[in-house]
Amino acid sequence: MDAQTQTQIERRDPATVMRLSRLGSLHQCRLSFMRQLTRRMARENWSFTRPVFDIDANGVGRAVYTSQGPDRTYSLVAFAHDLPPEQRSDRVIAEAWDATFALFDGIPTEADIDRLSRNVPLQEAGRVSESELSLSRANRSVRLWDHVVKSLAAGQQPDVEQIYQVGYLMRTTAVYGSGKFGAADREKVADRPETQAPFQVEMLSVFLTRAFVRDLVQHMANVQGGDQAATLDPEISRWLGIGNSTGLGMAPFIVNHPVLFNNWIMVREEAIARVRSVDVASDAEIARFRDVFERSRLSVSWWRSEHPIQVKKLEALKADLLLISEYLRQDNLTADRPWNRLVDWSETALSEEGQELLASLILEPYGDLVDGLASCMADTRSQAFVIDGTMSIGTVRDLIRETYAWALDLDWDVRENCARAWYVSEEKLEPRMGERFDEPISDYEQPLAPARDAAAAYDALGGWEDTKPVAEFLLRHPEHRHTIRRVQMTPSAPYGEIRDNTIGSKVLPIDMLRAKLSFFGATHFDPRSDRWVRICMYSGAPYPEELTSENADLWVYPQEPT
Amino acid sequence: MNFSLNEMEATAKRATRGAGYSWGQAEEASKAARWLCAQGLDGAGILSSLLERGLASDPATHRPGQIDRLWQGEEALCPLSAGPLLSDAAHLLKTSPIEMRNVAVPALMLPFARHAASILNEALTIEIDTVQSVVGEDWLMAPDSLPKTAHTVVVSRGGAPTATREQETRAYPDPQDWDMLNRYAHRTYAPATEESRLLGAGSGLSDND
Repeated sequence: MDAQTQTQIERRDPATVMRLSRLGSLHQCRLSFMRQLTRRMARENWSFTRPVFDIDANGVGRAVYTSQGPDRTYSLVAFAHDLPPEQRSDRVIAEAWDATFALFDGIPTEADIDRLSRNVPLQEAGRVSESELSLSRANRSVRLWDHVVKSLAAGQQPDVEQIYQVGYLMRTTAVYGSGKFGAADREKVADRPETQAPFQVEMLSVFLTRAFVRDLVQHMANVQGGDQAATLDPEISRWLGIGNSTGLGMAPFIVNHPVLFNNWIMVREEAIARVRSVDVASDAEIARFRDVFERSRLSVSWWRSEHPIQVKKLEALKADLLLISEYLRQDNLTADRPWNRLVDWSETALSEEGQELLASLILEPYGDLVDGLASCMADTRSQAFVIDGTMSIGTVRDLIRETYAWALDLDWDVRENCARAWYVSEEKLEPRMGERFDEPISDYEQPLAPARDAAAAYDALGGWEDTKPVAEFLLRHPEHRHTIRRVQMTPSAPYGEIRDNTIGSKVLPIDMLRAKLSFFGATHFDPRSDRWVRICMYSGAPYPEELTSENADLWVYPQEPT
Repeated sequence: MNFSLNEMEATAKRATRGAGYSWGQAEEASKAARWLCAQGLDGAGILSSLLERGLASDPATHRPGQIDRLWQGEEALCPLSAGPLLSDAAHLLKTSPIEMRNVAVPALMLPFARHAASILNEALTIEIDTVQSVVGEDWLMAPDSLPKTAHTVVVSRGGAPTATREQETRAYPDPQDWDMLNRYAHRTYAPATEESRLLGAGSGLSDND
């Protein structure tokens, strides 16, 4: 991504962008993975069918949803279950779900579906094959599910206020891709145009899951209500997204994939820099921005959370929205780099929530400047893994100082600076975080504190001559290999490293989860604890059969139905 | 049963760490095992036979004493020490071949020779006693099985493959090896306790809402 030539305003400094509180305030933008997928499917005129829908009166059975692109077909194979309420858990440690899914590469035969029916409902305890690209499951939002079924069965439409506030009928609790539990490796699809960008398999699986859930709720209402059951109004069903309930697995992901994570952040930063560099905005561009801003206000008004941290952030965001409105009343945005002025102003006037919302929104009028960057979001440089042993120790030292200066000043032996440890439990291998000094977990610590490790490597390098190659140091100190590898990635991946303490007593893992989820395109982040978050996906999006070029992109910004 | 290469890699990483190696070496062992499987070699068997030898308990005796002469340890050389060093110090091959003595599980040198080949942008020949392999950035010529230990390993520039190995997209580990890797991997998992279950993850709230 060598596009600095077109850009006069520079990308924001990684030292600013990569702070946890800011990463924990990121919002979706037009580069998000869901929107990349829906734009592509509309542009390429994908077609969708439902060849199987074999669900009984108890809501148990199977269904298949196919999506056909220009070169290939992908099928969601769905299994619906009758789950006792006491088993409904969104944790990794759950063992049964309301619905389970696999995304099949192609069109499954009866034999494939039978094979999957013996494995997919078991999730981690089953096996899928190289023909499957993802494995996932979902649980009902009991409250909204019951309300929608009852309303429709009684011949009435559900209450839209409840739909706005919950946002989904089911939430996925894991969508496993990339070779997990026997599925195909990422390499199988990495060179296909439709799956080259990150997480397109998973986003497609969720897109089709949403159609299945809508059909299932209608089916259950029809079973209960018989002839008097109403058909769910498409204007209402559009506001039903798919939820997702996410724990700590996503935090290790962004630490363990520094080049990939860098590419996401750097692409967004490049997009922001390009738009800030626009000298004069056209009337149409200004109108588009004002439109999505107003629609964002509606979306924020539906955003609910009871978690004290998010409650405070939402208050600040709502205050920010008023300030932005006031700014937009006074500034006609036409000249003198209007977007740069807006961003500069936001940095002095708004919370990080508001700043990042604006930074995402200014990209909307500029698909021509921004969307092409999406092709740079995958990690195609496997060679970045290989350490350059010829690099001098002096250079390694300089690199550590550049990225981790703040960490070198920290006393890592002080309790509050290393209070937490990340580990994997033997219980279904659930990723967890605990209190290092209160629980017997430090022997099992995962390497998820790169800054602490960088400070340790810097210390260990202390007695070594600047001119020596780092290979000599690494031969004697293999315990620093993982750190030197990361350090050597920083020049080409300056946004790959979180510039905060990931094991301090005040760390909020939800900040890491939100950073990742924002790139999926998630909205309405609702933390349930400091290490658990619910979100909404595809709310407002067209269903497969409704998808057109007109509705494929801006669906994430709601317009109140007339 | 077959496994995805990603499963092979993830299991190998945990197993290597569980056997006492550093995280960086575990990362490298996992990529190495994955690559061996992709070449149709027995990555799981090769790695588990190394982990069984327990060399990580005394790493200093299993690494080369110096870089610029014959690579030799006080005891058998560990390929997770000599291998990464071969990749780190690939430039030395420009001057002369690299020779090592008494190498444990020398098949594990191949993935690192491949890194070195990629760095130097040319094929490398690896002689494991009398057995010759040739490796490039994305191909390998090697027999199906290699000795468990080598008296001498010599890595030198150049070499023309007569037949390269077919690429595999899945791993087919022997169940015993796979179990052994998982036993080592298990050492990295914290015991299940009620406290950990309640506090370590999740929301502490009901999901039945």
